Amino acid sequence: MTRTSRLGTALAIVAAMVLGGSGCTVIPPNGPYTVNNDEGAGDPLSKPFQRMIAIPPQPGWGAEDTIRGLQAAMAAYADDPSVLAGYLTPEARAKWTAAGPVTVIQDQYEVVVPPPRESEASTEVTLKAHVAAVINEDDSYKPTGGSWERPFELVKLPEGYRVSSLPAGLLLTESDVARAYRPTNLYYVNRSTQDRLVVDRVRLRLDTMETFAQTVLERLLEPPTEALRGAVTSSFPAGTKIESIRSGEDRVIINLSGPLDTLDLSTEETLRGQIRNSLNKNEIAKGRVIEILVDGESYTVDRPDSVDQWLDDDVRDSAYYVDKGAVHYLTKDGPGGAVAGAAGEQREGYSHFAVSAGPNPLIAARTSTGISVAGLAPEGVWQEVIQGDDLTPPTWNRDGSLWTYDGKNGALLKYDPVRGRVDPVQVPEELDRLEINQFRIARDGVRVAVTTGDETVQIGALTGEGAGTKLGNLQLLTTTETGNEIKDIAWRDDERLLVLVQGTAGQTLNEINVGDGETTGVPLKDRLQSVAAFQDQVLADVTAKGVTKLMALSQDQQTWTPKIDANGGAPLFPLG
Amino acid sequence: MPPTKKRSRRRTLRQILGGVRRRVRRAAGRTRSVWRRSLQLQVVTSTLVISVIVVVVLGTFLFGQINKSVVDSSQRTAASEAFADRLQIADALTPETDDPAKQADGAEQGAGNLLDEVMDTITGSGENGSEKRYEVLILNLTTPGQSRASGSVVPADVPLTLRLALQRNIRVYKWEAATGSIQTIRFGGESQPRLTYVVGGIVHLPTNGRTYEVYHFFPFDEEEELLSNVRLAIVVVGLGLVLLLAAIAYLVARQVVTPVRLARQAAERLASGRLDERLKVRGEDDLARLANSFNEMAANLALKIHQLEELSQVQRQFVSDVSHELRTPLTTVRMAADLLYDAREDFEPMAARSAELMQAQLERFESMLADLLEISRYDAGAATLDLEPVDIRDVVLRAIGDSEALAERHGTRFELRLPNEPCVAEIDNRRVERILRNLLFNAIEHGEGRDIVVTVGADRDAVAVAVRDHGIGLKPGEDTMVFDRFWRADPSRARTIGGTGLGLAISREDAGLHGGWLQAWGQPGEGSQFRLTLPRNAGVDLKGSPLSLVPPEIEMRRTWRTSMTPVLLPASGDGAEHDED
Repeated sequence: MTRTSRLGTALAIVAAMVLGGSGCTVIPPNGPYTVNNDEGAGDPLSKPFQRMIAIPPQPGWGAEDTIRGLQAAMAAYADDPSVLAGYLTPEARAKWTAAGPVTVIQDQYEVVVPPPRESEASTEVTLKAHVAAVINEDDSYKPTGGSWERPFELVKLPEGYRVSSLPAGLLLTESDVARAYRPTNLYYVNRSTQDRLVVDRVRLRLDTMETFAQTVLERLLEPPTEALRGAVTSSFPAGTKIESIRSGEDRVIINLSGPLDTLDLSTEETLRGQIRNSLNKNEIAKGRVIEILVDGESYTVDRPDSVDQWLDDDVRDSAYYVDKGAVHYLTKDGPGGAVAGAAGEQREGYSHFAVSAGPNPLIAARTSTGISVAGLAPEGVWQEVIQGDDLTPPTWNRDGSLWTYDGKNGALLKYDPVRGRVDPVQVPEELDRLEINQFRIARDGVRVAVTTGDETVQIGALTGEGAGTKLGNLQLLTTTETGNEIKDIAWRDDERLLVLVQGTAGQTLNEINVGDGETTGVPLKDRLQSVAAFQDQVLADVTAKGVTKLMALSQDQQTWTPKIDANGGAPLFPLG
Repeated sequence: MPPTKKRSRRRTLRQILGGVRRRVRRAAGRTRSVWRRSLQLQVVTSTLVISVIVVVVLGTFLFGQINKSVVDSSQRTAASEAFADRLQIADALTPETDDPAKQADGAEQGAGNLLDEVMDTITGSGENGSEKRYEVLILNLTTPGQSRASGSVVPADVPLTLRLALQRNIRVYKWEAATGSIQTIRFGGESQPRLTYVVGGIVHLPTNGRTYEVYHFFPFDEEEELLSNVRLAIVVVGLGLVLLLAAIAYLVARQVVTPVRLARQAAERLASGRLDERLKVRGEDDLARLANSFNEMAANLALKIHQLEELSQVQRQFVSDVSHELRTPLTTVRMAADLLYDAREDFEPMAARSAELMQAQLERFESMLADLLEISRYDAGAATLDLEPVDIRDVVLRAIGDSEALAERHGTRFELRLPNEPCVAEIDNRRVERILRNLLFNAIEHGEGRDIVVTVGADRDAVAVAVRDHGIGLKPGEDTMVFDRFWRADPSRARTIGGTGLGLAISREDAGLHGGWLQAWGQPGEGSQFRLTLPRNAGVDLKGSPLSLVPPEIEMRRTWRTSMTPVLLPASGDGAEHDED
């Protein structure tokens, strides 16, 4: 045997062993190797959802079934308008339109059918329900209440009942809305300061033909809801369009088209902020790189960042409480000592304190003669900046100005500490007729909460900019029953307002979303004096048996734990 | 190049088709010949064909098995998921029996909410739901507001057959039966249709009599992709395997065929006379033993041939010597015989007749001796040509002139068919005239007094002379034997004109010396024809003859029978083939 053939035989035996060995196992054990887990990283641009499938009217249905089928067809109208048309007579079809606000009724509605009469060809059926909300054409969701009644005229045809007269607009149940709409936060830019995004809450209908990300961004290109009209701007020039949204391994690529200039980067940062927050805050594209193209050319890339300058309030961890007129620091562990300067000294007659944001905060307090301001520095002294004996508690705006409403003169006053001047700000006329108890500017510098009388909270916005700034877009947020009193309000964040109501039966603390009026009750054990909040921190002071305690709401929003057991006082967070 | 006229195009088309057909036929012929000649090609092709069949059968079986198991398991998973969902739906929609008040109160409106809740759970569209890989459609055509779908599924996406099957089940109260269907469905908002496994089942609530059709849409595009990858892999591996087997077959066949081919080449060379050809012997295997045997055979053959050559040489030398030695006494005998012949009139009639006979036989003896000497010159390779350009017509005329006396004696007439143009060729005048004379004498002798046709033909390369008689002709096989030395068609027949029996043999040697052919054709009762073909330029190989070997009238009469038998001179094989052209 030659050397070559010996080598060949050895190779053949080795190959046979390897092949034979691996042939016996279906999956041979091997590794370790790098596992590619990029696939499916990040969340999809769409979320699963379910839809109502409308079915055409069936010949065997009576009047009630027909009305219920019609209502179901309205719920599916945006997906398939043809079915709804099948419920209508040709005349009604010609007259009816889906345009206008969407009426949302409670699920349990009643269809009142009169006793059938042979002689009449048509039947008038009444739909009775409790109205729950209205979705306006600007996509804002306004909860309302009260009973709702609407007549429908039905005609009996050989193929079954058909509706011959139908009020315009869609009628949906709460379940329909929960199924087909998603509460969505859109982010616009504060018009006056241009440094802060302002949230606008809308209800967007899910579209089967496009991703939710596309639905959100397409809505973002449109103007904000009425509540923010004139108060915010958008960095998208008019005429911008979403060409496509693609999802890569670790990035989302958005292709825009329109008048955006790829060389002009002045709006690039705000545009990134708007898109990033409008997607991320709605649980889309979280933690993913967002690449923005304009007509296919790279415009900008936004990388996920835990610190978002566009929603930063420059407040840090600072919290305060007021004990006998002296402002104290509040740390995580409890009292942090009095602040430096005059504000840290005990003083009678100073109440309703407010702290500004920034590295050198100012403290404002209401006195019997007006509003005084002091610096949080050793040399800081109280200085009265606004005079008046019927002023609302002071509130700081994020631009550094101090605001109060002069109930006596019916004027909204703005004090600018840099110029040392007080300017009146234009307010809607109807405000003159009302008693303003509280006036609070949110930390975004746009939203304003106003309590009028004892029972009503209205939400407005600071529209315009510079000298043209005015209070506008006032809308009712909540009312309480007569006899109850709104004791305190506090901005928790840009969209949630805490409302402390003192009623005859006791106190209630509600957290209300100013965008869609969604209300969450916070359980109370003690009687609260005042409340202050900043994002997930909620503080309140409780006076019982002469001892003032400072309480903090736990993370689960269910229980209150004492932060300072004695010598506590009204809590304070900067702004809000 | 589009032709302008329709007619000419049609002709061109026909020509093209004809050309194509010819080319195809030629290529097929070439392939067939290559196939027949190459053992290696046969082995490789057979292996290729068999392995293709095996691979196709195995691949089909394998893919079928994989396909079945993948699709089956996916279908099973899908069906069980769909079943679990249907159970969940049925469970969720069944009103709580222990709370009749609530049931009565909210049965109508609550069902919608319950349906929403269960849909949220099974489609993952709830608060913390995760996206499911399938879509669900619930249809209730009898109760308003009781139909739901996830994703972009619409009732029209349900395959009609499935829908009908489900409705049939509803009609016969088969609530548990589930039906599946694999279809390519194009969902709304998607550009491409997707392979989808649709499972349809029924949820029937006995408490309120409601019946829901529940359809689950499971995308099967992943399975499809997997299977198409598997199929691609099988095809690629199969193709590789086939090529590998072909390569192996090629190598193995080469190992066997190469020595065989070398042996064949050696045998061919041996056959062409190179007796020193031997094979290389490598190793001790069967092929090596074949080579050894071949070499032994070649050595023995060479020895035998050498012995025979020597023997033949001795014989030829003997003939030559005898002829030479006989000449001297023959000259003396001849001189004496001449004297006797001249004085024969003085003898008695008996003696005079003997003198005449002796004279005649002596002449014949002399010419026989001359022929023997001539032929021994050929055998010794001493024959040379004296070439000059000559018009072959003149040579023919001279030969006919020489033969006329004999022809007259036999009552035979010549019919000459000569071309008008001169037919000049480089030939040895004397030898060609001798050939022609031989042919003419031969024709006169066997022509039985009938006409002899002499035809001369010429083309660019060759000149030819055909001598046709209408005598008794030749029997099959005799057309080659006529050129043998001392051959006689009928041994009992006497030679009338005193031929030596060597004339045609010498003529063939003469023709061969010119590089030409001398061929015979004959049929019993049809006479015979001898054709001499010579190249126009000496030393040029003949490719064909200007004249046909078979007389034209016979050819025309019996065109269906190929009775032509070429008579071989050294290049006779080629000549015969070209005759047919």
